[in-house]
Amino acid sequence: MAAFLSLAESQRRIAGYLNRFADAIARQDGATLRPLLAVSSAASLLPLADALSNFSDSSRLVSQSDHIAQFAEILLPLLRSIQSHHLGRFAEAYSSYEKAANAFLQEFRNWETPWAMETVQTIALEIRLLAEKGDRELASSGKSPEKLKGAGSFLMKVFGALAGKGPKRVGALYITCQLFKIYFKLGTVHLCRSVIRSIETARIFDFEEFPVKDKVTYMYYTGRLEVFNENFLAADQKLTYSLARSDPLNMSNMRMILKYLIPVKLSIGILPKMSLLKKYNLMEYSGVIDALKTGDVRLLRQALQEHEEQFLRSGVYLVLEKLELVVYQRLVKKIYIIQKQKDPDKAHQIKLDTIIKALKWLGIDMDYDEGECIVTMLIYKNLVKGYFAHKSKVCVLSKSDPFPKLSGKPVMAS
Amino acid sequence: MATEAKPAAKEDLKVDLFEDDDEFEEFEIDQEWDDKEGKEALQQWEDDWDDDDVNDDFSLQLRKELESKSEKSS
Repeated sequence: MAAFLSLAESQRRIAGYLNRFADAIARQDGATLRPLLAVSSAASLLPLADALSNFSDSSRLVSQSDHIAQFAEILLPLLRSIQSHHLGRFAEAYSSYEKAANAFLQEFRNWETPWAMETVQTIALEIRLLAEKGDRELASSGKSPEKLKGAGSFLMKVFGALAGKGPKRVGALYITCQLFKIYFKLGTVHLCRSVIRSIETARIFDFEEFPVKDKVTYMYYTGRLEVFNENFLAADQKLTYSLARSDPLNMSNMRMILKYLIPVKLSIGILPKMSLLKKYNLMEYSGVIDALKTGDVRLLRQALQEHEEQFLRSGVYLVLEKLELVVYQRLVKKIYIIQKQKDPDKAHQIKLDTIIKALKWLGIDMDYDEGECIVTMLIYKNLVKGYFAHKSKVCVLSKSDPFPKLSGKPVMAS
Repeated sequence: MATEAKPAAKEDLKVDLFEDDDEFEEFEIDQEWDDKEGKEALQQWEDDWDDDDVNDDFSLQLRKELESKSEKSS
């Protein structure tokens, strides 16, 4: 395309872009300014990119008038970034964009009103997307991918510019969410901590005043962090918040929230209905749920094995594995109820033999020591009330509430 | 040495875990919706599943197994 473009037309396009940029700032017109910085996503920048390939002296156009030249530190690297991106040189595009973004942030700090907030948010998104593209490019040519890490450092600066007192603070949560996306991708989630602290301890700003789209994103990521730290009550609260306020028509986000909320709820004894699994295509959990309902330990192991890779990838495998104890509880309870129907007087004594026999039937071979260990653990974790008579190898159940329900609380930590 | 090697291995695992297939979708910068609507998914949970019913297939088979005196099993 560029070959058919006359020099005059190229120059006209570039000058037009530069003027729009400077005018938008002069008029504090965020809606016009924003797309001018959307390097990787605005189709409207394509004609400009063609013109830049065709016209090598754009810096002369920038310096031509003071009106434009005052933003040279933003505009020169920005034009280079647009051009590099157009040519598919993403690492280069990122580096130039970071320079432009730093210069823009410098200006933004000096503006008293938050009129350019959405532009800053666009920059935050763009710099992350460019960094990801740049890193893919670097990795594929055997170089070390470092752009996304750089984008994280830049966004921390943006966060610093917003998170203080004043009208710009409403934009801080958006930046936080972009940081989360970076940290989760890089596996440096411990870096989330300081931004979380800054968001959650601020007395000067009510969390509810942030935009809903940022609140649900924030709660999704902090909820996931709580899952990994096995703080199931906090995870439940955060993921439920996100679920309750998410756009129900956005199936993909709803599904992602549920993917983490389901193992959390299972851990506190609350099961999703099958209709929910079906609607959001989360059938990988159905085996685990059936195992909890029936007490079928073998089924739990099969379900975990069948979806092992998936559960490991999302990081919920360990959470689900710990449900085995709850499934044992259910199995022992079933044995108890069956015994009670036959002989109510002796039902509260369960022979270890009986438990081992049931497990053997499920294809799980256990000796007395292992069986005793399970029963002792159930008692220790308050999933069974009673005691184990070691000599006679009998589990003696308490007469009142021998199988306490979790009812919204997690199994005791060891 | 062994204690030094451990944290590194844990870090590797984390990187793998957080490869992140589950990146929350971006919204349009001015996107809004009625956040009072999404309640349906909140209602599809049960906490009273842990009942005393032993008439399901699994329980019936378990009963049969427990009542059989023989040692052989599948």
